Amino acid sequence: MFNEQEILSTIEMVKNEHLDVRAVTLGINLFDCVSHDLSVFKHKIREKIVTRAEALVPVCNTIGEKYGIQVVNKRISTSPIALVGAPFNAEQMVEIAICLNDIAKEVDIDFMGGFSALVEKGIATGDRSLMDALPRALAETQRICASVNVATSRSGINMDAVLDMAKVIKKAATLTAQDDGIACAKLCVFANIPQDMPFMAGAYLGVGVADSVINVGVSGPGVVKKAIERALEARPNLTLGRIAEVIKTTACKVTRVGELIGREVADNLGTRFGVVDLSLAPTPTVGDSIGEIFQALGLTSIGVPGSTAALAMLNDAVKKGGAFASSHVGGLSGAFIPVCEDLNIAEAAEKGYLTIEKLEAMTCVCSVGLDMVPVPGDISEETLAGIMADEMAIGMINNKTTATRIIPVPGKKAGDSVFFGGLLGAAKIMKVPHATNQDSFVRHGGRIPAPIHSLKN
Amino acid sequence: MDKLIITVLGKDRPGIIAATAKSLFDLNCNLENVNQVILQNQFSGIFIVLPPPELSLNTVKTTLEKDLADTGIYIHVNLADTAPNGNGKGEGENFIITTIGPDQKGLVAKFTRIIADANVNVTNLRAVFKGGDTPGANIMVYEVLITPDTDQKALFSALRDKAAGLGLDVSIQHKNIFQAINKI
Repeated sequence: MFNEQEILSTIEMVKNEHLDVRAVTLGINLFDCVSHDLSVFKHKIREKIVTRAEALVPVCNTIGEKYGIQVVNKRISTSPIALVGAPFNAEQMVEIAICLNDIAKEVDIDFMGGFSALVEKGIATGDRSLMDALPRALAETQRICASVNVATSRSGINMDAVLDMAKVIKKAATLTAQDDGIACAKLCVFANIPQDMPFMAGAYLGVGVADSVINVGVSGPGVVKKAIERALEARPNLTLGRIAEVIKTTACKVTRVGELIGREVADNLGTRFGVVDLSLAPTPTVGDSIGEIFQALGLTSIGVPGSTAALAMLNDAVKKGGAFASSHVGGLSGAFIPVCEDLNIAEAAEKGYLTIEKLEAMTCVCSVGLDMVPVPGDISEETLAGIMADEMAIGMINNKTTATRIIPVPGKKAGDSVFFGGLLGAAKIMKVPHATNQDSFVRHGGRIPAPIHSLKN
Repeated sequence: MDKLIITVLGKDRPGIIAATAKSLFDLNCNLENVNQVILQNQFSGIFIVLPPPELSLNTVKTTLEKDLADTGIYIHVNLADTAPNGNGKGEGENFIITTIGPDQKGLVAKFTRIIADANVNVTNLRAVFKGGDTPGANIMVYEVLITPDTDQKALFSALRDKAAGLGLDVSIQHKNIFQAINKI
C-alpha cells in the first residue's frame, strides 16, 4: 500500500497541476503505398492509415480513463510525403494534403504530421512539389502539419531553401489572412530535425523506423512549477543545484507516466513502442505555463536577464530526469518557449520583457527555437529568411535541433493582437527591428558550408 | 497440522512481537507471514505459522496466553484457511479509490457497500481522519481488485455519484500510476 503522502502527491499532480500526456502519436510508414498513380496512392494511404489508426482514439481514451491521466492529443505522423509522393506535382501534392486531412477527420485525430521534406543538402523533385504546394495545402486543410528541414550540422544550411520557405510562409499567411495567417502555425522550418518524434508541427516518421510505432510526448510545466514552489516554501534558501535536483526528480516522474501510458497504448494497438519525448510543452492555461516556471525560480518574468541561464538549467534537468526514467528517449526533449501557446510568455512579450532578440538567445539552450512567434504582416521575405537563417545557424553550429514557426500576420503590425484559439493560444505581435528591409545576404543562395566538426567520423 | 492464523490485539507497547515470536519459536513453529499495524496506540498483529505436526491448536493457544499473560494482550488462534479467496473470477487489476473531504458517520459503510455490490474485493483500506477544520486532511483510500467481469463504468459512476452527494472529492486510478510516480 502506498502511504498517504504518495497518494496525495499523485492525485495533486494529476488533478491540480495539470499532469497529462500531451500527445500520443502513431507513426505510420507509407513507403509501401508508393505509386505513380495519384488515385492509387491516395487509396493505399487511406487504407493503411485507417486500418492502423481507427482504434487509436478509443484506446487512448480508455487508457486515459483507466489511469486518470488524460491523453490530450491523439496524432498521426507519416513518412515524409515529399519522399513517398515524389512523382507528384504541386497540384497533386495539395490533393494529397486534402486526402490526409479527410483521413485525419475520419479517424478523429487532432493533427496529422508528415507533410514534410528534407532539403538540407538540396531540393529534389518531390521536395520542390511539396514546398510549392505548402501554402495551399496548409490553407485548405485544418489538421495537416508540415515541416521542412533546411539545415543539418553535417550538411550546412541550404540558403536557397531558407529563402523559398520565407516565400512559402508569406504566401501561406496571405491565403489565411482572414484567420491571422493560421496556416503558418502548422509549419516548422528545422535544422537537425530529429526523426521519429511526436511533436507537431514537425512530427514525421523517419526512415529506419518500424512500419508503425507509438511515440509519446509528455508535458507537465505545471507539475514542475509546483514542485519548485513546494521545495522553496519548505526551504527558502535552497541553492540552484538543489532546485535542479527537484526539477530532475519531477521530470523523471512525469516521464514514467508517459512511458506507462505509451506502452499500454502500443500493446493495445499491437504496435511497437518508440520513444518518449520529454519536452515541457505549455498550454494557454493559467498554472500550466513554461513562463511561470521562470517566476517560480525568482525571475520577474521570462525574458529578463537570467532567463537564459534558468532555461539552460531547466532544460538540462528535464533531460537528466527523463533519461533516467526511460530507456528510449527521443524527439525534441527539452523546454519549449512558444510565444502564442503560453499565456505567461505571451504576456512577457506584450510587456516588453521578452524581445525577439532575447528569444533567439534563449533558443541556444532550449529544445526548439523561435516557436509560434507572430510578427508584422509586412515583414520582408529577406528579413524573414534572415531570422530563419540565424536560427538554423544556432542549430548547425551547436549540433542541436532548432526550428522556426513564425507567423507574419497579414494586415497587422507590432502590438496588435492575434488569436488562434485552442492550444495555439493568443498573443500580441512582436516587434521585429529591420522588418521591412531587403538585405541581399539571403539572396546569395547556395549552401552555407557545414562546420569543421561535421568531419567527425 | 495445518497452518494457524494467530491474531494479537491490545494496547501498543514495546516487546509484543518479540514475546509472541519467542513463544512461537519455543513451540517450534515456523513464522510464514506477519503483518502488524498500530492505530491510535492500539496494536494489531496477524501471524500465519506452520506448527510441527504433533502440536495441537489448543497447545499453541494456551502457551501463548500463558507467555503473554502479563501484557494485557488478547490472543486468538485458529486454523488458517489458505485456499484461494473464492471469488472465482481469476486475475484482476488493482485500482486505488481515494475520497477526500468532510468526515461523517458511515462513509466507509457507504462506499464499501457500493464496492461489494459490484462484487469487487477491497484488498487494502486506510482511513485517515485528521482534519477538523481542514476537510482535505480526511482521506480514505481503498485498494480494490477489479476483475474482467466487473462492470467498471457502473462501479465508478456509482462511486462518483455517492461522493458528489456527500460533498467528497473522489479519485479513481489504476495502481500502476502510483507505482510509476512513487516507486523509482
